[in-house]
Amino acid sequence: MKYDVIIIGSGLGGLECAHILSRAGMNVLLLERGTQAGGCLLSYKRLGLAFDTGFHYVGGLYEGQSLHAIFEYLGLLRLPWERLDTYFDRVTIEDRTFAFAQGYDRFVRTLAEDFPAEREALNRYVNMLKRIEEQQFDMLNPQSGKPSFPFKLFETSAYQYLTETFRDPLLINVLCGTSLKMELRRESLPLFTFAHGNSSFIESSWRLKGDGSLIVNSLVDDIRRHGGEILCNSEVQVLVEKDGKLVHAVCSNGESYEGNIFISNVHPAVTCDLVKQSDRMKKIYRNRIAGLENTFGMFTVSLCIRSRTLKYFNWNQYVYDQPNVWTFYLENSPVSGVLVSCRIPEDGSEYVQQVDLLTPMLWSKCEPWNMTEVGRRGEEYKAMKKRVAEECIILAERFIPGLRDMITGYYTSTPLTYRDYTLTPEGTAYGLRKDFRDPVMTVLSPRTPIPNLFLTGQNLMLHGLHGVTMTTLFTCAEILGKEHIWNIVKN
Amino acid sequence: MAREDITKQVNAILAEEFEVDPTLFTPDANVKDTLSLDSLSLVDLVAIIQQTYKIKIPATDLREIQTFDNLYDYIESHFGQNG
Repeated sequence: MKYDVIIIGSGLGGLECAHILSRAGMNVLLLERGTQAGGCLLSYKRLGLAFDTGFHYVGGLYEGQSLHAIFEYLGLLRLPWERLDTYFDRVTIEDRTFAFAQGYDRFVRTLAEDFPAEREALNRYVNMLKRIEEQQFDMLNPQSGKPSFPFKLFETSAYQYLTETFRDPLLINVLCGTSLKMELRRESLPLFTFAHGNSSFIESSWRLKGDGSLIVNSLVDDIRRHGGEILCNSEVQVLVEKDGKLVHAVCSNGESYEGNIFISNVHPAVTCDLVKQSDRMKKIYRNRIAGLENTFGMFTVSLCIRSRTLKYFNWNQYVYDQPNVWTFYLENSPVSGVLVSCRIPEDGSEYVQQVDLLTPMLWSKCEPWNMTEVGRRGEEYKAMKKRVAEECIILAERFIPGLRDMITGYYTSTPLTYRDYTLTPEGTAYGLRKDFRDPVMTVLSPRTPIPNLFLTGQNLMLHGLHGVTMTTLFTCAEILGKEHIWNIVKN
Repeated sequence: MAREDITKQVNAILAEEFEVDPTLFTPDANVKDTLSLDSLSLVDLVAIIQQTYKIKIPATDLREIQTFDNLYDYIESHFGQNG
């Protein structure tokens, strides 16, 4: 049997591509090396509780907002999304707390109360965010004469833009204080990545009542209903090329699948390694991809909370014990910035059962255990995890006094955990690093030198639930045409 | 850097990286045709020149580079300027 499309990797990008292409009538096969589909959206269960790994909140779900049309098309609006408080993100820097409000006007009004001299600058800032939200879809408009990708927006430095727009350094740190959801890095972060990672949350912000596997299961059910196949425990080992095109995906279990089009949702460097012999994929492409750098990883502490000790808080709390939100993770000192996020109680109670603490972690911190396997990394690794977890808890106690006494146990994950479960090099949380100094090199196209091999996922253009979904649209536009995708996003 | 050295080095690198027979690299040969470049692999060419000579070729200049001679000229005139 020959499939129209074979997709490698069932993270969000792979699932979304499978959904769109199978709904368009294509015969789709999705191959996943793990025991379940989902990639970074998967949760893990301990003591009857499901802990999320990569997913925490999403923005722009109301009608007319960034993700509404595409999430509706993907069947994801029927999930139990609950809107976060008006003040959805709160940033505590040392002893002061600042709030991000939903709705662009209210966002400006709220921050202008703390920074009255910056009201005009805040207006300019949200106008820039709105423009970027609008432009993201222009790129998919088949009638638009504009180039298919806004390299101009990628050529601007986020840090430079912010320092030129605002005079008060504290406000800059506040505005960037919710940006643990991207790699804040002065010398590389493009304004487009920064803005895209922030804007939809200001439109409206949502938490899922349940874990990320609700998203996975919904997409999987739809794909199967559209006639698509999903095979787990099927690790692709080789992509076979014949006469300049891929013809087979060969798995480690010996199975081989024939296809017309192939989409890889695994890291591009890993994808290149799967194509062992090729007339089309030359050394130059392989070397360029292998030379790209990865963003940092994340350290997560999943806390189990004693019953009836901590009330649910319907926002995300970012806590810093010093004002520098841009470089704190580079310092060799105790954790000084953390995101505190809690799960919506599913039993209707006003008390939470679990809280997540997240902080960036460089690969270099995990490198000593590079060659080890899950569960066999040794005592020093355990000690490192314990130390970092304790530091995260100490910091979170600034927001939740007495937190330590509410904890009945906790689980941690590091970039190493990520690497070994999702096969992402260096356990990168947000994929390949985009660099405003060199967008042509660092923002990858879904196309590859092999005409029937396409890429998708967070490594290409944008990361996060929103970014990966946008990237999915670009990948599918290569296969179905821009017009098809434009009709989806414009409903 | 002498013109002759540039020619030799560029040809060696392109032959190795693009896996193309270097005898095809005559001064008047078309770079895109010889290396089978499309819009995607053009990025690879820009990348390797940037990496080797620290020269960033903007899109407008790239359009002017048609032949191998044009490419050598460009590298010769820009080498050492971009730091």
